[in-house]
Amino acid sequence: MTELYPSPSPSTGLSRRSTLLAGGGSALLLGLGLTGCRSAVSESSSAPEETGGKPRRGGTLNLAVNSDFVPALLFAQSGQSLQQRLIYNTLTRYDDALTPKPELATSWTYAKDGRSITLKLRDDVTFHDGRPFTADDVIFAVKNLQNPVRAAQLRSTAAAVNGFEKRGDHELVLKLAHPVNNLFDLFEFMIITDEKTVEDAVTGKKLIGTGPFKLKKWSPGSGLSLTRNDSYWLPDRPYLDGVELRVIPQADALISSLRSGQSQLSFAVPGKSLGVINSDPKLKITNYDTGAGAIYLGVNTTIAPLNDRTVRQALAWAIDRDRLLAQTLGGYGLASAAPWPKSSPAFSEAHRTHYTHNPGKARELLKSAGHSKLSFPLLHIGLPGETAIAESIQYDLKQIGVTTTLEPTDGATAQKKLISQEMPALWSMGHGFAQVQPSTLAVSAYPFNEAKNTSKYRSATYTKVVQEAWTKPETSAAEANALHEKISGILLDEAFIIDLVVRGQVQVNADRLHGVALNKFSYLNLDDAYLV
Amino acid sequence: MRGYLLRRLPSALLVLLGASFLIFTILRLVPGDPASSLAGPDADAATVAAIRERLGLDAPLLTQYAHWIGSLVTGDLGPSYAIGGQVSDLIADGLGATAELTVAALLFVIVLGGAFGILGATSRSGWVRSAIRVTTTAALAVPPFVSGVLLVLLFAVVLGALPPGGRVSFLGAPDLAAQYLLLPALCLALPSAAVLGRYLKDGIERALAEDYIRTATAAGVAPRRLLWRHALPNALPPVVTLLGMQTGHLLGGAVLVEAIFAWPGLGQLAEQGLSRRDYPVVQDLLLLLVAVFVVVQLLTDLVYAWLDPRIRWE
Repeated sequence: MTELYPSPSPSTGLSRRSTLLAGGGSALLLGLGLTGCRSAVSESSSAPEETGGKPRRGGTLNLAVNSDFVPALLFAQSGQSLQQRLIYNTLTRYDDALTPKPELATSWTYAKDGRSITLKLRDDVTFHDGRPFTADDVIFAVKNLQNPVRAAQLRSTAAAVNGFEKRGDHELVLKLAHPVNNLFDLFEFMIITDEKTVEDAVTGKKLIGTGPFKLKKWSPGSGLSLTRNDSYWLPDRPYLDGVELRVIPQADALISSLRSGQSQLSFAVPGKSLGVINSDPKLKITNYDTGAGAIYLGVNTTIAPLNDRTVRQALAWAIDRDRLLAQTLGGYGLASAAPWPKSSPAFSEAHRTHYTHNPGKARELLKSAGHSKLSFPLLHIGLPGETAIAESIQYDLKQIGVTTTLEPTDGATAQKKLISQEMPALWSMGHGFAQVQPSTLAVSAYPFNEAKNTSKYRSATYTKVVQEAWTKPETSAAEANALHEKISGILLDEAFIIDLVVRGQVQVNADRLHGVALNKFSYLNLDDAYLV
Repeated sequence: MRGYLLRRLPSALLVLLGASFLIFTILRLVPGDPASSLAGPDADAATVAAIRERLGLDAPLLTQYAHWIGSLVTGDLGPSYAIGGQVSDLIADGLGATAELTVAALLFVIVLGGAFGILGATSRSGWVRSAIRVTTTAALAVPPFVSGVLLVLLFAVVLGALPPGGRVSFLGAPDLAAQYLLLPALCLALPSAAVLGRYLKDGIERALAEDYIRTATAAGVAPRRLLWRHALPNALPPVVTLLGMQTGHLLGGAVLVEAIFAWPGLGQLAEQGLSRRDYPVVQDLLLLLVAVFVVVQLLTDLVYAWLDPRIRWE
């Protein structure tokens, strides 16, 4: 039987031959297109040949970052500080024991009363534009950080410098209003910039320093492109021809970039994703002792009953820090009741475990303070990682009868509330500045500031101890330890900031990349880095 | 027509002015401000005050508004507060990147959608038709944030053939730029290509069932000629209308795809601007979008007036 209305397909359909031809042709064109030109993958992972492990000159390093360089925050510790030591230098750098080592300053002598320091500077350093580096550049760098508009966290330390005495072009005396024991924190933090172009630097137009790499191009949103500084003061350095900082905000894409070889280095892989990296034999994980700041539970001490120290201590006993670390950071970090990372001179195991997970004790403390059930708002930044932390805190507090209402908010709003003392009863955030001299935490990190902090905590004892620790001239190790003990003791006892976990500073790099280092403020040092 | 245009222009300008006022006001009502954002989490009051003064945020709101409108009139949009660089450069770069991604995706939509539609309607092979049906269903069902990750895993991680993200300028290295563009454009195009393919397939099938095709077949017209000269041209008009609508979807979807593939387009710029309270960037970007809408509306009115002269005299 014939069809009245035959299916149109058989009469007009493409034959198998034409289908195959079309498909084959398309595949051929695509293949030619992809193979007939340079590969973007091999282009981005170009490296010198194998050298048997010896340093080798050449190659471009691709560094995956999750946020772009913010020129307006050039002189502040911001989310993205990796480029600082690539373009610029600092006066000194700390070793692992927080002993300062020479960079642009070759030697230094403190006055006996601690009210001045004499610096001898390198005389073979030039800026990227060819101008020689002199003592005037150090004077400008200090004055620049004294300017509030630069938002430098170590401004209080820079402000202690109230006089300069030049002794030639490469010797300088910094006079201090009072002794400060964290001057080398400032020297590690303060980048040496070119005075003439500093206003161009804070808009991202020109970044002129003395560092191993020169700015080739900054594409907002895409990243920084740096090229080797052939006149670098360190002989035969750097080995690399260039560095590309590529902004990859999305964590999965950033991990793919590392696994595919497009990027060879990153410090932005979330702790929970490090398991994927661990299983890749071509990638290596390094965990720095300095940590990457700490996660804390902030307490507004003016809101009853949180004005009662016993209630605050109950909250500190309620949190399961180990679970928080495992669940939210994949175990990369340090569960700790104190703010100090392992590299800090104030670190001690006793402080770290001062508060452990003890809901029974927490309930007892609440009962002794006359409470069995409490309710508070808990503000947190509404990003996935921060939300997970807040939910973990919420769960633990609920076990002791403290219910919390989560208040997710965006970073800019949270920041404004933080520095204008507008936080609700509880908030969870992160803080830095515990990785250097302990006094820096109390004078430079706002949550801990003795004069004014978000918790609105004031105590004459705290102020006295902090000022003593900060302004005492060179002390013996025993004296310094005693002061650190006092600071830690007050922080733990008063619990206006309840530290939970010190985040791990985790580096992920391709196994063919060697010689990477970070300073204490997470400035990336690639002087000795090379690709094989 | 000139008179009609002159009558329409004031209302368009009024809409822009009203929008500018709304944008300015709403941004100031959003909690947080650029000075606090720039000052960082450890800033004191003096730092915040110094930054507010430098940015001109200590001036009365009306002065700030007048300053902004002045910058728009003179064409000098000034510097960004937090992102860095000039606002005009940032917007031009972002616009270029988003346009590049959208145009590339549109090409993919046309090529893939065309192939899905033609093969789906005409292939004699059952497995080809099934494969197309499964592919288009999957392309429609899987959201770009999933398909994007899968594409990256396959082409960048497993095969190592294409970069997983980023952008290279076509002016500097077109061969590399094309490779960087391939995955995000494909990811963005897939759902629209599936929609287009299904419409085209139905259109071709309907056209092939028409009497004139049967007559042509009886007259001995070659099947290929039947398809390309008769069925396809008749199936295309609704598809072209759909393509226009899909272009809007592509522009909207580009924002999400930009985040997955680290593509520095307008979506990324808006996200950065908003999260850092970069008022100049966000204000100018939003007003640009309103301006595009107003211009398109104005052009539409003009076309209507040109088509129907009575409208000009209403």
